[in-house]
Amino acid sequence: MALLALLLIEGGLYALFIACLEATETWTLLALGAGIALLIAVVRWVSWVEEWLFALFGHHRVAALLILGLFALTFPFFLRTSPYWIFVVTLGLIYGMIALGLNLQLGTAGVINLAGAAFSGIGAYTVGLLTVRVGLPVFAAFLLGPVVAMLIGALLFVPILKTRGHYLALVTIAFVFIFNILVNNLAFTGGPQGIKNIPTVELFGHLFTRSPVLFGVALPFYANFFYSALLLISLAGWAVWRLHNSWVGLTLNTVRDDETVAKCFGVSIARWKLLAFSLGNVLIGLGGAFYAVMVGFIAPANFTFGDSLIMVSIVILGGLDSIPGVLVAAMLLILLPERFRFLHEYRLFLYGVAIVTMLLVRPHGLWPSGIRRYGLHPGTSAGSPP
Amino acid sequence: MQQLLNGLMLGLMYALVAVGFTLFFGVLNVIHFAHGDIYMLGAFAALALTALWGILGVDVSWMVVPLTFVGAMVLTGLFGVLAGRICVKPLSKSPPLVILLATLMLGVVIREGVLIFYPRGADPKLFPSLFPSGFFEVAGAIIRYENLFILAVGFGTIVVVQQLITRTRIGAAVRAVAQDPEAAMMMGVDMDRTVDFTFLLGSALAAVAGILNGIYYSEVMFTMGITAGVIGFSSAVIGGLGNIYGAIVGGLLFGVLQTFAAAFIPGGSEFKDVFAFGVVMLFLVFKPTGILGEKEVQRV
Repeated sequence: MALLALLLIEGGLYALFIACLEATETWTLLALGAGIALLIAVVRWVSWVEEWLFALFGHHRVAALLILGLFALTFPFFLRTSPYWIFVVTLGLIYGMIALGLNLQLGTAGVINLAGAAFSGIGAYTVGLLTVRVGLPVFAAFLLGPVVAMLIGALLFVPILKTRGHYLALVTIAFVFIFNILVNNLAFTGGPQGIKNIPTVELFGHLFTRSPVLFGVALPFYANFFYSALLLISLAGWAVWRLHNSWVGLTLNTVRDDETVAKCFGVSIARWKLLAFSLGNVLIGLGGAFYAVMVGFIAPANFTFGDSLIMVSIVILGGLDSIPGVLVAAMLLILLPERFRFLHEYRLFLYGVAIVTMLLVRPHGLWPSGIRRYGLHPGTSAGSPP
Repeated sequence: MQQLLNGLMLGLMYALVAVGFTLFFGVLNVIHFAHGDIYMLGAFAALALTALWGILGVDVSWMVVPLTFVGAMVLTGLFGVLAGRICVKPLSKSPPLVILLATLMLGVVIREGVLIFYPRGADPKLFPSLFPSGFFEVAGAIIRYENLFILAVGFGTIVVVQQLITRTRIGAAVRAVAQDPEAAMMMGVDMDRTVDFTFLLGSALAAVAGILNGIYYSEVMFTMGITAGVIGFSSAVIGGLGNIYGAIVGGLLFGVLQTFAAAFIPGGSEFKDVFAFGVVMLFLVFKPTGILGEKEVQRV
């Protein structure tokens, strides 16, 4: 019974999602938007619906995730005629990966990092330089990207330990500016033109630029990248979730919330901050490396301070330290501007207005992370006895 | 000598922006990252006003300059108050990261707004030279009258601000709120008025800096606020956030540093910002509270 309800609800939402992507007329889009607004209003204002949903998804978390995964697997089949949307959704997954890494830094450990674009850029440029200039196989370069991002992140170790708050924000802003100016002006990074013709991945004899044929259906070649991004983000999400729920996550939260208390309990601030920062950079670099392989072309304009801002917006709007929140926000913030491309030059303006409004209305994010509940069953509220 | 002069001029503009950052930080404990774009808005307000004078037929040169300055300052100042009321004050109790993002996004809104609503906003705009042209030579250095005016207006503005903060009632209120908001409120300081005044003053200063920048480069562009904001913030931090004299020193230092890097390091003009930001990073590592910053003491 509950499974059926889950299937119906998730199926309905999934259908709505696809309808939103496929809609071509402005009025269908408006109608869909109105429908979504109505749904949100019902869930928000009719309290028993909200409670029922929370209980349902809280009790059947694994089943809900499995159904979601199954639906995600079918996604390229539904959209096989519009490869563009498969590309954009894959981009959303890449940003989800980056947001997971940034969330580990900003949300879990409280290490401010406004240089996300620099670290994803380092991952991407590692792939580009090693394959095009050095001639390394692309798979090896892809694996090295995140490692190099982590290693270069070590440059910021001292500032992270010595400064905090606004000052750390400034250090990371300065870092992203320096990175951007350097790749823009150095000869070996290709200057403003960037690096072209990054070779694509070949796995088990299947070239990633070739359309895959699954169950007799030919899919656009972006489906290759979609499925690999899905696999990577599932692994990363699982790893980050386990980390969040372990004593490591708890320690990082302590460091974030009160350094003095953490120190009093013998927690080494330096070790945990640097660990969170480095792990986060691995994920951010992985996102950048994946982007380089998928698009095959990178330029300094892809890794500016503005891109850092989008990454931070994703984490804050999703809800600091909330893993499902940042994944949903990554999808939203990457898909919405593409969906509203017909607004042309008003797009960024409205994007800014929307984010400011959301921050004013929901300063804790769309899906704030709850209080940790130890010894309680999932789904029961924090106050009630187990 | 020439380089020092250029550095001083740039430094004065940075200092004016930095004073805004430091004022907001002192009074509300927030970093108002849209400040760079408010600076850009100031330059565009002046540009629009000069166009307006052309239409109205005001062409007496000794009237045009002060009118443009004052008009742009008032417009930008009022806009700053509005921005503060809508975007900064309601969030002043939320985590710093949220304010950071909100104000950065407000900056995006202002920038895109100018791009869309200003006629042909995407192109770089020729900025009218408001000051008399011509130059004279001292010891091999060419000194333009324009530059002297920029220096004079910059220094003059800073002196006026200093007097305003130290000598007037509202200045005393600003200092009181910066020191201890609750105690200030108990002594009858009107918090809302003080905050509004701070935004008015800070944004008007940014407008002056924006106009001077426009005159200096004789060109303005809707994206000029991004780097100016970051540099202004850097200057405020170098000097020590919350300290007005620190912001001035920091701004001058940054300007001189940048110009010298461009002039004396080979190939420096492209990498001058790398050098300047590198120094900022090193500086923060060794002296995290700035030159004139207060020592941060945490009581448990």
